[in-house]
Amino acid sequence: MSPTPVEVDDPKTDREHNEEKATDRPWIVLVWNDPINLMSYVSFVFQKVFGYSREKADRLMLDVHHKGRAVVSGGTREKAEMDVFRLHEHGLWATLQQGD
Amino acid sequence: MALRRDGDRTTVLLDDDERSMLIDLAEQFRSVLAADADPDLRRLYPTAYADDAERDTEYAELVHDDLLQTRLDAIERLVESATESSIDDEQLAAWMQVLNGLRLLLGTRLDVSEEDQFDPEAPDAPSRALIAWLGFLLEEAVGSAAAGL
Repeated sequence: MSPTPVEVDDPKTDREHNEEKATDRPWIVLVWNDPINLMSYVSFVFQKVFGYSREKADRLMLDVHHKGRAVVSGGTREKAEMDVFRLHEHGLWATLQQGD
Repeated sequence: MALRRDGDRTTVLLDDDERSMLIDLAEQFRSVLAADADPDLRRLYPTAYADDAERDTEYAELVHDDLLQTRLDAIERLVESATESSIDDEQLAAWMQVLNGLRLLLGTRLDVSEEDQFDPEAPDAPSRALIAWLGFLLEEAVGSAAAGL
């Protein structure tokens, strides 16, 4: 005779699950306004690096210019870091952080 | 006009003095990059993790040499092609990278801000005029590159 399976709250499993969720939270890539980069150049870099349309790239560039920063891409940490590297190659001021 | 899109290439409409100046600036940029000690280079190696110093140090160590090398390669391509009557898209991308890098270095050195008005009497007027000229060339390069996308 086998014991009836009982549902037990296992705090350890719960914690591990939460940590996993924290790690899975997507990362975002931010581009910050700087006084030196040209607006047309910033928009061009968004089109070249991310394949965005001219309209989307211009909108993001204007967000950076007027609001001081814009989220331009996101994903896993590895992807976000690669995006940041490519933006740094092009001289843009980009950072990555975990989204909320 | 300095750079004009013609089919799959960009025609360079600079005179000999402008070409010499561009080569000279690129070579000065190469020296500063290679020496790797000028604090005004900081905008070329930005922070990636603003709120995580440890990860940021790891990132900087990982990418510093690649960022340096890609800029040195771009300078080489620009210097090789600066006397040509036209350049291909790969050379155009190198020109843009050098023009923008030079602007970041000089702009950081002069502490350029968006509100700055050009004052021809100011002691730093020649450097500011140079940044403006590099900006004009970069604007033209972006125009040609965007037309080729």
